[in-house]
Amino acid sequence: MSETGGQGFGNSKGGKSAHKSSGKDNGSAKSKGGRKVQFESGGSGGKAGKEDKIANGSRSPQAKVPSPLERRLEQENSEFLMDCEAAEILQGIQEQMVMLSEDPNIKLPVSFDSGLSYAKRDSYCSKSQTVRKILQPLQKYGVSNAEICQIANLRAESVEEVFALIPSLKAKEKKIKEPLRIALGELTNLRDALDELARFKESGAAV
Amino acid sequence: MFFHMILERNMHLHPRHFGRDLRDKLITKLMKDVEGTCNGRHGFIVAITGIESVDKGLVLDGSGYATFPVKYQCVVFRPFKGEIVEAVVSMVNKMGFFAEAGPVQIFISNHLIPDDMELQLGDMPNYSTSDGSVKIQKDCEVRLKIIGTRVDATEIFCIGTIKDDFLGVISDSGQTS
Repeated sequence: MSETGGQGFGNSKGGKSAHKSSGKDNGSAKSKGGRKVQFESGGSGGKAGKEDKIANGSRSPQAKVPSPLERRLEQENSEFLMDCEAAEILQGIQEQMVMLSEDPNIKLPVSFDSGLSYAKRDSYCSKSQTVRKILQPLQKYGVSNAEICQIANLRAESVEEVFALIPSLKAKEKKIKEPLRIALGELTNLRDALDELARFKESGAAV
Repeated sequence: MFFHMILERNMHLHPRHFGRDLRDKLITKLMKDVEGTCNGRHGFIVAITGIESVDKGLVLDGSGYATFPVKYQCVVFRPFKGEIVEAVVSMVNKMGFFAEAGPVQIFISNHLIPDDMELQLGDMPNYSTSDGSVKIQKDCEVRLKIIGTRVDATEIFCIGTIKDDFLGVISDSGQTS
């Protein structure tokens, strides 16, 4: 019944450390002029920018600094869920509740129904793993799990829409524009296919 | 946005529940006490998905109740500032309109509605453009951005805007206007 919380925590922790190690700015960087420059790890974006101006020679790639929200949520052992993933979990619980409904002590709260109907508004609510696989390649370009969940929830049709609605992706626009365009195209195809299937089932049921 | 997280709670159990079914009674009480509640830190606890651990109970002096630290996994729903959500309009009035995204209620002030939309009173009050091509009325879906949240003891209330690009009414084709 439990979701892969442990795996998710591992991913989030691993993702954070991977971002730290991929950037070479944790240790000291020797400039060509012989001056040692110490970069602070986990610094804010502003600080990192200032240090880049100080260093001579080539700029080392900046580690992705998690937003305060992501830092707090990682500390709290939480995992971001796409709406379709939440819908699958809640749907499973609802199906179990049907079996347990004989026990009057067990009732589902009102927020459960509203949460489930909100999560199920997606047409690809039953294909969360497919959606995850489509968006997973964006992670190697520095897109965080939170941003991936936001992209999935948006149901955007264009890259411009995604960059306008998720400002944190703007910084990586050049890197992720093409992969994001491909991912959005695949999501649109998946959505259209599932809508077609739903219409076919409805017409089949009507007959 | 939905999250899957591990939370901890100290459960107090009356001595009459001590016995063979103690763990089941504890879990049932946890579900009753926690599911459907809301707090400012975690948001709405929508459903408990599993029990991580139940530590040893401690009998409290004087009362006879026992306290069990319980770690559990749950799905929570918490809105954040800057988050884009798709909500269903529940009420329209001259101050703006209310919308609901899951268990969260969001208010969109008329100051944060595009200037080309005006309130039309009548049986079904709505905000619409002059040509009537875009209409915000009860039960229609809108995409909005949350610009502020307020947390009470039992609920989270948000303020939203539709005055930015790609926000507004969601048409049937899935495009916003």
